[in-house]
Amino acid sequence: MNRKMFSLLAVLLLIASVLGAGGKGEPGESGGAGVVIEEWEIPFLNSLTGAIASIGEYLQWGAERAAFEINQAGGIAGVPVKVIGVDTALEPQKGVVEMSKIVEWALVALGPVPEPVIMAAAPIAVENEMMTMTATTSLEYAEQFFPWSISWFPSTADRLPPLAREWAEDYDVNKVVQFVGIYGPWPGMAAAHVDGIKEVGAEHLGDVEVPQDAVTFGPLVVKALNMNPDGIIIACWPDKAAKIVQELKSRGWTDMDKILLFSSADDAALYTTGGADLNGTVIYNYINVDQDTPRWNAFKEAYQKDHNGLQPPSLSTNYYDAVYMIKRAIEETGVTGDPKKLKEERKLVAEAMLNMKNFEGLLFKWDMSDGVPTNKPGYLFQIQDGRKKLVKEIRN
Amino acid sequence: MSLALYYFLTIAAIYILMSWGLYLPYRVAHLHFLTVANMLISGYLAGYMVQTLHVPFSLALIAGFAAGGIIGYIVSRFIGDAPTFTVVIVGFTFIYISRTAVENIKAVGATMGMFGLPAVGGSPAMHRLTLLILLYAMVVVVGFLIYRFEHSRLGRAASTVFVDKDLATSMGVDIKRLGRLLQTFSSLLAGGCGVIYGFIYRSFHLDFFTFHLVGIFMTVIFVGGYATLWGTVLAAPALYGLSLILPPEVASWRIVIYGAILIAVLVLKPEGFITRRLAHKLETTLSRRRRR
Amino acid sequence: MQTFIAQVINGLSLGSIYVLLATGFNLLLLVAMIIHFAYPQVVVFSMYIAWVVLRYTGNSIILAVLAAIVSSVLLNLISAPLFQKIMKNREEVDINTTMVLSLGIGMIITDILSHGFNKGLPIAFPPKLVGETPILRVGLISLMGGQVASLAVGIIAVSGIFLLLYKTRPGRAFRAIAEDPNGARLVGIPLLRTGLESYALSGVLGGLIAVLLAMLLGYSSPGLGEQVAHKVLAVSIIAGLGNLAGGLVVGLALGILEALVQGYISGSWSNAIAFVVMLIVMLFRPRGLFGIKL
Repeated sequence: MNRKMFSLLAVLLLIASVLGAGGKGEPGESGGAGVVIEEWEIPFLNSLTGAIASIGEYLQWGAERAAFEINQAGGIAGVPVKVIGVDTALEPQKGVVEMSKIVEWALVALGPVPEPVIMAAAPIAVENEMMTMTATTSLEYAEQFFPWSISWFPSTADRLPPLAREWAEDYDVNKVVQFVGIYGPWPGMAAAHVDGIKEVGAEHLGDVEVPQDAVTFGPLVVKALNMNPDGIIIACWPDKAAKIVQELKSRGWTDMDKILLFSSADDAALYTTGGADLNGTVIYNYINVDQDTPRWNAFKEAYQKDHNGLQPPSLSTNYYDAVYMIKRAIEETGVTGDPKKLKEERKLVAEAMLNMKNFEGLLFKWDMSDGVPTNKPGYLFQIQDGRKKLVKEIRN
Repeated sequence: MSLALYYFLTIAAIYILMSWGLYLPYRVAHLHFLTVANMLISGYLAGYMVQTLHVPFSLALIAGFAAGGIIGYIVSRFIGDAPTFTVVIVGFTFIYISRTAVENIKAVGATMGMFGLPAVGGSPAMHRLTLLILLYAMVVVVGFLIYRFEHSRLGRAASTVFVDKDLATSMGVDIKRLGRLLQTFSSLLAGGCGVIYGFIYRSFHLDFFTFHLVGIFMTVIFVGGYATLWGTVLAAPALYGLSLILPPEVASWRIVIYGAILIAVLVLKPEGFITRRLAHKLETTLSRRRRR
Repeated sequence: MQTFIAQVINGLSLGSIYVLLATGFNLLLLVAMIIHFAYPQVVVFSMYIAWVVLRYTGNSIILAVLAAIVSSVLLNLISAPLFQKIMKNREEVDINTTMVLSLGIGMIITDILSHGFNKGLPIAFPPKLVGETPILRVGLISLMGGQVASLAVGIIAVSGIFLLLYKTRPGRAFRAIAEDPNGARLVGIPLLRTGLESYALSGVLGGLIAVLLAMLLGYSSPGLGEQVAHKVLAVSIIAGLGNLAGGLVVGLALGILEALVQGYISGSWSNAIAFVVMLIVMLFRPRGLFGIKL
């Protein structure tokens, strides 16, 4: 390619990029009974590329799976639904531009994912009075955007202590060291674990901070073992959590059930990195993969088919449920999708979700109260050969 | 103006300003990555001042500029004429230190970040207008200053240092002083940009200021042209906008595309799209037309 | 005391990663005058190739080693003309342009790994490659086979490359064409063939390093290269660019420093403290602790 062509290409790119900063066109104009559109389009601001692309992938999968099932059953108010993946690539700069395009037309949005993009982009949704369902973040991040967001989790201070407490009690753990990844809400979650174990008289010996770019874990594990714990909690990135478990084993740790992994570590990276070394460790999260219901079995089978037999991670159901929640809100409120009524219909849908009662999630029912879920269970599992076996269900 | 266009314009302006912040020290062959640390430090400082101490935004912005300038000046006293490697390591060090410090300071939100910053001017619309005007006023002022610098003795001295440090010294160029000036100015600029960057989102998070930004700004400079200020003006909106216009299947490969563009430009057009010769030609043509 | 010894051993293990990567980095510097900032990413790419071969050949280690070497050599040979083209003056190290070019190469490699392999998830190497049980365990002190191998090979590699470059004819030829191509041509050194050989040598080393890292770490991820790249560059600069022995000492020292900081102070401050120490060294010894050897 010669230099003149290169220069011309650059000028064309510049023009195109300015034009491309514009918004989406209007949706279609005809639809089912009461509904004036041909298709419900739900944008999902997600990290489909970048460092957490593997997480973004299964979140997207869950949302699209819900759309698939809904369409098979006749759609939302008789109109098909489509989840549109909008990649923010973990970049706040991209997230704000994409959200600002979305607020021009969308009734409701899914995401953003993860926290830096939420913080940058969600205020735009709030300003435009559009519900954006941040279904993977903690209440501490979501509540600042209420009532234009809902939390998928109760507060950390309420949710986590019982899980840590039950583990400490069931496995007779008395002295705990915790590995903490220095990222987002994890230090807060770590503090909640400590509150939980103290309820049963266990002693918190200390925290070992795990740097984001740690590649070997010997120094951290030696530091932890030097405190003579009989129990370990690991609250850090999944692959690093697996490496820490392996390092503990290589230094003589044998009581695998006295290692508790937190829910954010429940990701494919944990299992692909840790393999059989994870056998016997305990992990908590919010879905019970051993449930036997037709709906869950179908979800699980479809997930495993598309993901080389891996079990669905804990977060994979969140946006699946979010899409169904949107369906119920649309059908209960009778919104039409009419662009001329966008503002009122956004409000109706948001209000319907904030206090939705008896919502039938994929695995359990729960109630929303002013945007915060109540009576949601947590579970303790034991990992065996890459699969989670239920130990107990815990409700507050 | 649509919101999408507003965010595109504001972030493109940040990219232009920050790339100029790297461009200036690069005139004396310094890769001054300290600017990313300056963004972070000044940004969080201003955020804390506005949110916790209820200081007006204007004062916090001045404080942000000042913090950037002071840090840049102090550091430049040590590395004003240091080898390129030293400057690079200094930059990395400060990025690590500043990130670690913020992670551990609860008053600025630690790993959670700082959010819900008040709108400048009282309403979201006023906030956006204020930031947009401020940013493009900065683009004009800084652009003018850099333009004057380039057409001054100092600018010619910088060019000499870039080509041959020893020759520059023998011609009487005070390399340390020149390096100090450019590094201080670029840090000052970065400090102000860091404040505005966070206020565009009305929040601050560590993931807003990563090593990734270094890669972006370097790409802008080298693709646009590292020999004049105009290359950045072209490349910043083009490269940022590229990621917004690509179809999703292609956009997922955008880092590969950026890398390929960077390599292609380095190999085929080492000076970037806007070379000094081209810039000079355009300036001469424009000034001839003006005289007519 | 036991804890301290355990941490020092941990530090040597971590340091051997830096030594291996810095050695390859310095080799490219010595034979081609390029600052290959993305050398760790090239090595990580070779780790992925080795992993793919292990998966499809029933864990054949020999084939995996060969594949890692071949991929590293190929990547080097593909990037060689790019580096050569952009270097303005081949008798000096052009940090700025070579660093930027390698930045672009690193971006491409990392993103391809995120997309194309294992859905972007980390990869794990078979336990028999890593070593399933420690070869030595006394209390908190634990030594795996991979750790011993990587440290030993790191030391051997540094010595071997030093001998090759400074005590053999081919090695002197490599250095000659890097330092003064015209002079090298005048004395009859075939530029193209020798140049290709030098890149291939660095590729062979890269492949071996990939396998050693697989044994040492037991896993890899798309971002692994980026995570260590800053430190590898810093090690090379602090030691003195092109200084192989210096790279060995500084690499191990950095590993020990990081391990001690993580073990006795705080994990989150380990990077910052390590870089501050390196910065102080740089300010007092701008040409590196052991001097530049270009």
